[in-house]
This record gives sequence, structure tokens and C-alpha cells, in this order.
Amino acid sequence: MTILPFTMAAGEALALGFATGPVCVATCGPVVVPWMLAQSEGVRRHGLQLGLFMTARLTGYLLFGAAVWLAGAAIPRAWTGRSWLLGAVQVLLAVSLAAYATGWPRRRPKCAQRPEPLVQIGEPMRGKARSALALGFLTGINICPPFLVAGVRAVQLDSLSASLLFFALFFVGTAVWFLPLLSLGLLRRTPAVVTVARAAALLLACWYGFSGVLVLIERVIYG
Amino acid sequence: MASQASPTMSAPAFRSVGRSMLLTVPMALWSLLMFTPSFLHAGPDSRIACGVVAAFMTVLFYQMMRTGTTYRWRRYFFVALGLLFPVGFIASLVAVRGSMSIPIERMVSGDTPFCYMVTPMLIIPAALTRTLIFPGSILPTASNPHSIAAMIGIWLAMTLVLGKAWCSYACFFGGIEEGFAALPKHARIRKLDPRFRLAPWAILLAVVLLSAVMFEPVYCMWLCPFKTVTEFPAVRDAETALQFGIFVALFLGLVVALPLLTKKRTQCGFFCPFGAFQSLFNKINVFDIRFDRTKCVDCGSCRSACPTMAITAESVREGKTLLNCMKCGACVDSCKKDAAVWHVKGTAVAGKPERARLLFLYGAWAMATMFGGSVLAHGVATLIHFVARN
Repeated sequence: MTILPFTMAAGEALALGFATGPVCVATCGPVVVPWMLAQSEGVRRHGLQLGLFMTARLTGYLLFGAAVWLAGAAIPRAWTGRSWLLGAVQVLLAVSLAAYATGWPRRRPKCAQRPEPLVQIGEPMRGKARSALALGFLTGINICPPFLVAGVRAVQLDSLSASLLFFALFFVGTAVWFLPLLSLGLLRRTPAVVTVARAAALLLACWYGFSGVLVLIERVIYG
Repeated sequence: MASQASPTMSAPAFRSVGRSMLLTVPMALWSLLMFTPSFLHAGPDSRIACGVVAAFMTVLFYQMMRTGTTYRWRRYFFVALGLLFPVGFIASLVAVRGSMSIPIERMVSGDTPFCYMVTPMLIIPAALTRTLIFPGSILPTASNPHSIAAMIGIWLAMTLVLGKAWCSYACFFGGIEEGFAALPKHARIRKLDPRFRLAPWAILLAVVLLSAVMFEPVYCMWLCPFKTVTEFPAVRDAETALQFGIFVALFLGLVVALPLLTKKRTQCGFFCPFGAFQSLFNKINVFDIRFDRTKCVDCGSCRSACPTMAITAESVREGKTLLNCMKCGACVDSCKKDAAVWHVKGTAVAGKPERARLLFLYGAWAMATMFGGSVLAHGVATLIHFVARN
């Protein structure tokens, strides 16, 4: 194992994240863009939602960083179980996106007689926060090419904390490319825009489900 | 609901013969200009085809001038384009390749003819990675004359002139379903959920994002109904068999069955992502259709005639069509009160609608003759060749 000086590794992680960020945005785009378009308008609200999404994504990154360091180089290089993970994550993404797009499962009000609050500042965030966290985490562990490159580099570091730091800085480098997505908050929300975004999310859920199931079937057939 | 029969069945004479001919002269000269080079340098089959198509385009334009109607005459051209494009294209593929299917090795070598449908899917990968995700060639080559640069150049020029009218005057594919939609006298399915018109936008958003992830034009690989009558990836395994099955199912459903049942252009109106992308250019195009509220009696004939549900009661109240209007002229021709009018943005709606129509038609028909005319001539020449040799 090559031991890299800390500053060099940190700089490399940042540069790697920044250089591969466009691919990360492209990979996460099908999840993030329809999801954000279906939210209410306003850059501030979008910032909050994107912040939650990115926090969950960072959690996914750090978990992966810890896993690859603990398992050594085997995971990113030739881990045969990788396709299982990929397929499973894609199916979970499909379920999450479909649930978000369709509003399923519909929650029954606890008490039918419960009065509406007289004053409510903003919109209730519970469901939105949940979807931001679920989608962020699942895209965080969705293995894409830049992620694998970072994984290969992280296992060469000499400690778990260095590996986690490497992934955290890699995340910061990629996160810069997500900032332009905040501009989606400037778009005027009409019922048509929300319907289009939700329908697109449903279509993308179908695609993730289809490709995830294909990966799993291939694993079953070819081992 | 008003009848869904053709909106121009009883079009009265609008101009005198002499005046109509005079207005047709520029377009006749344009046709001559467009077809003379091919006429002089091509074989006998192509010469006959060029002559026939030049006459066809000129006569149709004359009829537009004479009757003051647009939709019916445009439809003759457009259906002919939809039918003859596959004829010429498939014949070329069979002559060059021996089959309609394209093997993966030909794709890798950049031999896939470029289709404008791919254009919106190219944008994000090109912006993020400076890569064109289409297996074609940027400049024309001996094995692939339909290059990316040429097709995007033609599309851009026509789009700036026509806006979304591309979908009524230039698209190779829309004519097939317009032909099927014209066959029945009445629609069997009349009530369509208005939300269907949002579907192309959702499909556009999904395929553009997915194309950036997959690094391939997802719509062309999985969803294009017109692969059935043009070219498709060679069926060699379960995946390509599934792709081909999807193409055929979408073609039969959206291009054949639903237009027959609804008398609408269902693929264009409720599915085509390129159509949605093209709608954006209506924002910058100078021509549109407007409704003169002082004449409109809310009879609903325009809504019924529109082949893509681009008119709603609310939009009529606001005096305009929706963004997805293709400027086919069906609503204008169907309006008995002359409330639906052609319009140049920035001018008065009740001003001189016929002048706006003429301005639009000269541009649109010139483009149609240049772009569609050559496709028609190729198709006709193929048919003549086929008939003469057999």
C-alpha cells in the first residue's frame, strides 16, 4: 500500500471530485432534477431540500468509504457482489422515486375530525425531508464510475479516518457541480410543471426498476 | 362536441385564378431552383421524380392561395412525405447494407444516419463532457452522407423560421399518423384526458436525463416508434429483440391504432419528446395563431379540429393557442367566424391575418420544398425505379 502525504491525498480527493463532478451530476440527474422540479418554487426552499439530499448523499459516500477501506481493495476492483448491490440499489431507487411521484402510500389522517391548523408557516416538510434523505442516500451508494475511481484510491490510504476524509473531500469536489441545480428553484411552478416532473420521475422509476431487475437476473443466470 | 371531420371540406374560392397564380409564381421559381440541379445531373428516374414533385409542391401552394385554406393542402404534402420517406430510406439501406437493421459494428464505425430526434439528447453530454453521444459522423463521409452537422444545420435554420411548425411542414414521421388520422370520417374516441398533452414533456425530461447517464440516445435505442419503418439495431439477443418489440408496439399503438380511433396525431401530441423540445422554439418564433375575441362564439370547432389538443377553452379565452401549437392551420380553416387567425407577433390580432398567413406560408413552403421536396423526390424516384425494373 502506498502511503500518501495527507495534504496530497486531500488535494487529490478534491481534484478528483471536481474533475468527475459532471459525471456525478449526470448520474444523479435523473433522480434529482424531476424531484426538485416537483417541489415548490424558490431558491431558498430548494437550497434546504438540496442540502438534505446532499447530507444523505454524503452519508452514503462515507459508508462506502468505510466499507472499501475495511474490505480492502477487493471491493472496488473485483468484488463479485458489486452487481448485486448495483441491482438492489437501482430497484430501491425505483421504489423511492415511484413512491415520491405517485404519493404512495397515502397516509390516512389519524383523526378525521382533526381541524386544520389556523396558521401554518411554510409547507409541512416531513414527507419531503424523507424523500430527500432516501433519494440522497440511495444515489450516494449508487456505484458510478467516479465513485469507483475514488474507491480504488481510498483503499490505498493507511487508515479508516483517512479513507473517510478522502471520500468527504471527494464529495465536496463533486458537490460544486450540484449548485447550478439550485437555479431550478427560479422556475415558475405551475400545476403543469409539477405534473410533468412527477410523470418524468415515474418514467425514470420504471427505468431504474427495469435496469435493476435486469442486473439481478443476469446475476442469477450467469452467477 | 363539434364534428371532427376535415376542417376544409367545403372551402370556397378565396382569390381569383390570376391573383392566385401571381402569388404562386415565387414558389414555382423556388421549386425550379431547388430541383434544377438534381434534374440536370441525375438519371431518368430522378428527373421524372423532380418534375413531378416540383409540380406537386407548386400546385398545392396554388390551391392554398386560391382557396385561402391551408390544412388540407399541407396535409397532402405531409402525408406524402411520411409515406415516401421510408420508401427512399429503406431502399437506400437495402441497397447499401442489404437490410433495414444496423449491426453494432456499423454503429461503432459511425455509419448511423443522423436523425434530428436525437438533438435534445445531445445537449447535456456535450455540455458536460464535450462528447456527442450519437454513433454517427460530424461531417459527411462516403458511407454516411447524413452527417450530424448537416442535419443540425438544416434543423436549426428551419426551426428559426418555423418554430414548432417543423412538426407540420418538415418532420419525416408525422405524416404517417396524420394519414391514418385522416382515414376515418369520425373519431371513435372523443374524450381524451387533457393531461396527455403533458406526456411529451415528461418523456423529454426523462430521456434527456437518462441519455446523459447512459451515454447513448435512450429514445432512439428504446422508444422511437419510427424505427419500425426506418432502421433499427440488428436483433441478435434478448435485449435487441425487446427493443424491436417496443418499437413495433409503439408504432402500431401510437402511429396506427390511436390516430384511427381518435383522429388526432397521438404520437406527436402525446409522446414525441422532440415535439416538446420543438415547442420551446414557438417562444422565439414570430408567427403564431391567435383568436379574435370579438368574433369568437366559443363553438369549440377549433378545439375539435386541432390534431394535438393545443387549444383549450382557457387558451381561447386568452386569445391564443398553447405552446405545443404546430401551426398546421386546422383551427383557422375550421373556424366559421374567422376568429382563429394567423398572426405575426407584435402586430394587432384583428389587423391583416391573410398577410400574416402569406408571410408564414412563403417561409414554411419554401423550407418544405427544399427539405421535404428532396425527400419526396427520392421516394418517387425509388418507386419509379422499382416499377420500371419489375
